[in-house]
Amino acid sequence: MRTRKEKSGEVVAYSEAAIRHNHSILEYCRTSMSALSGFTAGVIGLTGILGFVFYFLVAIVLWLIILVKVGSSWDKYFRGRLNLLTNGLGGGLFTYVLFWTFLYGMVHVY
Amino acid sequence: MWKAVIFVSIVSLLHSTFSATQYRSYLRLVEQPFAGVLPLDILLQALLSLLLALVAIVNVCANFKEIRALDDLKYKSVETISNRASFYCFNHRGRLL
Repeated sequence: MRTRKEKSGEVVAYSEAAIRHNHSILEYCRTSMSALSGFTAGVIGLTGILGFVFYFLVAIVLWLIILVKVGSSWDKYFRGRLNLLTNGLGGGLFTYVLFWTFLYGMVHVY
Repeated sequence: MWKAVIFVSIVSLLHSTFSATQYRSYLRLVEQPFAGVLPLDILLQALLSLLLALVAIVNVCANFKEIRALDDLKYKSVETISNRASFYCFNHRGRLL
């Protein structure tokens, strides 16, 4: 159980288990997004800086999809909206580069 | 239903992969240089199936829980605190009388 003081002075208690559950779902979505977008980037043959730009674009698209899915009651499920975008962004990049280089080699080099 | 959508989009992604490899080997056979961009239909198929897969994955796994700890206690009264199921007694002295 965590508590935080709101700006209005009201103390809100958060359930630790629910927060952890939501974060594990986000982690799952992030990992799938990294693998699939790396796959696509390798297929369409992106190289250099364009590939990294593509990763961040897809991350933003995933963020928008999650926001649309949660809807207007996002504050019931998350403490901040920007957290959804930045959480695990760097870790997913390694998965992305793995799939990107693998598929680029399979499609365009060999 | 969304799981089927994930399956279809991944199959479509694999199909665009095979299309890309065939296009590259075709270019090698006719000895043309690769322009750096795939034909538009393969490109669009790959990007659209990626988008479809993302939407489907979010819809399959995003069952978020409410993080406010007190939300489910809000509709209960104080009397429920003293309710202990282990101390329920269903025997009655009227049976022995």
